[in-house]
Amino acid sequence: MNVKFLNPFVEAASEVLETECSIKVMRGNLTLHKSAMTTDDVTVLINLVGQVQGVVLYGLSDKTGLALVSRVMGQEFTEFDNLAQSGVAELGNVISGQATVRLSRAGYSANISPPTLIHGRGVTISTLDFARVVVPLTTEVGDVTVHLALREAIPGTQDAHFVPIMVPDQST
Amino acid sequence: MNVKFLNPFVEAAFQVLQAETRLSISRGELNLDKDPYTTDDITVIISLVGQVMGNVIYSFNNQTAIALAGRMMEEDINSLSALAQSSIAELTNVITGRASVLLSQAGFECVISPPTFLMGKGAVISTLDYARLVVPLNTDVGSLIIHLALREGNQKVVSAGGVVAANRFTI
Repeated sequence: MNVKFLNPFVEAASEVLETECSIKVMRGNLTLHKSAMTTDDVTVLINLVGQVQGVVLYGLSDKTGLALVSRVMGQEFTEFDNLAQSGVAELGNVISGQATVRLSRAGYSANISPPTLIHGRGVTISTLDFARVVVPLTTEVGDVTVHLALREAIPGTQDAHFVPIMVPDQST
Repeated sequence: MNVKFLNPFVEAAFQVLQAETRLSISRGELNLDKDPYTTDDITVIISLVGQVMGNVIYSFNNQTAIALAGRMMEEDINSLSALAQSSIAELTNVITGRASVLLSQAGFECVISPPTFLMGKGAVISTLDYARLVVPLNTDVGSLIIHLALREGNQKVVSAGGVVAANRFTI
């Protein structure tokens, strides 16, 4: 994992959380993890493909998620219903979208996938051979932990991202 | 969810599972699910970006995953070691990659993301406003269930080679 991919995400997350939720964001200490992560209450998963590829995970507690969504939507949420889930996923989507704009300014173009929301504590998520850089973002309503498992795509290999195998001819 | 995206996945899964595990496979009944999905033991998530957008989720129970990984590795294994996890992720990666080739032959260019591997029963995975088409594939060692949460996209594929023509999400 290349650390130059980190700052676009940290900057985008700070900016989006500050403008959308009007809260101050403090960056905590970075750590590098090789083992699988164990989820907090809510995890938003977004994949990147292009010159940077991999996965970005945003982990937060129910309480933090509800507080953020309440601020985004300007109404109090007490339950993690569909609208709240959609709000949290959209925050992840906007942060990742902003980050890819910054990445492309730095010369790395990438597209993001639609977000997937995982609700459930204690699930193990493995990014396999991608190491994760973990950045906690501390706010007054709790932490949002950003996990980046990204790497630079090797030029020319994008079209061969799966292993070709011999497939038996079905017609015979 | 557009049903024309279904066949490339079913076809790819049949071909790849047969080639890698030499099991005979039959397709179970399709189901369109609007509710979030509650995970089984093992879940692998792969995203598609391009003219088809969305997520593909593969789910297995432990026993099936171990049996499939064992057959791929040609070894008798009784737990899901790191190598076995990697085999299962690779299996889904190859199925999705093969399906993306079939999709592009049908005129829908897309690229796939690396797989993300989830272990743990009972978490709830929501693909939000993407409905899931659930496709069970039955084998002698248990079922592999493919969830397709896809729709037609309009993004041009960004190549890793440096030729870039991206329509980004509006923010």
